[in-house]
Amino acid sequence: MRLMHQLSSALLFVAPFGVLIALWAVLVPYFNVNPRLFPHLTAVIQAAVEGTCDGSLVGHIGASLLRVVVGTVLALIAAIPLGIAMGVSPVVSGFLTPPLRFLSVLAGIAWIPIATLWFGYGFGAITFIIFNAVFFIVTYNTLLGVSTIPLAVRNAAASLGAGRWSMLTEVLLPGALPNVVTGIRTGLGFAWRGLIAAEMIATNAGLGYMLFVARDFYRTEVIVLGMIVIGVLWLIIDRLVLAPLERATIERWGMVQPA
Amino acid sequence: MTAALQRVWGAYVRITARWPAIASVVPFIPLVVMWWAVVEAGVFPRVFLPGPADVVRSFADLVYKGILPDYLHDSMVRLAVGAFWGIALGIPLGILIGMSQLAHRALWPLLLFFQAIGDIAWLPILVIWFGYGLATMTFVIVYTVIFPVVLNTVLGVRSIPINMHRAALSLGASRLRILWEVVLPGALPNIVTGLRNGLGYGWRALIAAEIIVGTSGIGFLMFDARRAGSVVEILLGMIILGILWYIVDSWILAPIERATGQRWGLVTR
Repeated sequence: MRLMHQLSSALLFVAPFGVLIALWAVLVPYFNVNPRLFPHLTAVIQAAVEGTCDGSLVGHIGASLLRVVVGTVLALIAAIPLGIAMGVSPVVSGFLTPPLRFLSVLAGIAWIPIATLWFGYGFGAITFIIFNAVFFIVTYNTLLGVSTIPLAVRNAAASLGAGRWSMLTEVLLPGALPNVVTGIRTGLGFAWRGLIAAEMIATNAGLGYMLFVARDFYRTEVIVLGMIVIGVLWLIIDRLVLAPLERATIERWGMVQPA
Repeated sequence: MTAALQRVWGAYVRITARWPAIASVVPFIPLVVMWWAVVEAGVFPRVFLPGPADVVRSFADLVYKGILPDYLHDSMVRLAVGAFWGIALGIPLGILIGMSQLAHRALWPLLLFFQAIGDIAWLPILVIWFGYGLATMTFVIVYTVIFPVVLNTVLGVRSIPINMHRAALSLGASRLRILWEVVLPGALPNIVTGLRNGLGYGWRALIAAEIIVGTSGIGFLMFDARRAGSVVEILLGMIILGILWYIVDSWILAPIERATGQRWGLVTR
């Protein structure tokens, strides 16, 4: 019974896409749209099959994902300790909030010109951009998370004899975790956009590059394929990895207000 | 030493308590001083990292030539036009999806997917369709602004307690009046939050669009400077972007959000 229910709700979710694809398959040939403006469905499928067979599509996806993972992991390693260190003291965190907000606004795309100048075109520049997009937002959110831990909780832990280490691992880190995860989700959203933009400008591999080169040859079927891949990948990352992670952290460590 | 520091800090706290605006400016002073010190120490070649004074000089230079005001004007007009259409299309669509079960079923999955594609991935095909111009930029910004507005409007409409509808209905309100006096005010705090998020994304999308397809604007200024290898102007562009968004966000959007929240927010108690 439960399975039936899940199945039917999944079908309901997929149905609009079916309608959209059917419309695409019918309308584009019917109006005889120039393939230089918008591709036929069959051309996109063919491009997908070709790209998978000769490995170029897989290569581009791999290149993009690798950059995101490397940039994000480096940023998290730097941001979370820094955020906690600054958030512990309300004086320091209050003082540093405006500059951090300023820098997190710049995060991502605005760094592209200077990153390409400092690091040259390639892996370094793009990783730097992703690092930036994630680093400032996560630092800011960690700082926010630590400074919203009620002082009473910290005092209670201290008066029960918690040392610095257990204070960190049992009060500060869990208390800030919901904010940290929210920061990661927002930061990755910006990083993903920044990645696509940076790849259009600064490399010779990756999904953004694939799109931008296809534009030079008016290969709209490759562009549309790339857009679909970007959309599906982000849906998978956001809905299947980040959103459940966020929900789980908030349920487990969030400050649940008694209703 | 500590006593003197404490006295300075005390004075700072007292002043910022009276004029809170100062608290958002003073923290940048050590940042600029650090930047200046790093440049003066010669850690990096000056071509790679110019000092604050160089940036100020190039600011004055570009203002004098009239380039900067022009570009700034272009960027702001693009953002305003895009934001206007994003709001004008997003709010009605959000209310439709929020109120009609059928529309929700048909459109919600598509919304999630098209939001995931993201603005920047549209740029190549938009260039083919519209060329390098205002139409491409406007499309990108509208596309970015509209999703957060729609998603938050739906959230707002759906969070209105059903009893509010019932109460208005039983008091004889017509559908139009329910829309105007129940749904719209009830959803307003969420709509404003969506708008704030949307503009945050739209702002970044504008920069990306100007960098990739631009012919003017702050993003173009930065990319043009990159082509010429002039780090000073890139830094200037970044600082202007940051300051502008800081002003727009914390002096215009955040107060509006707070005001609507206080005026129309559903205080659950």
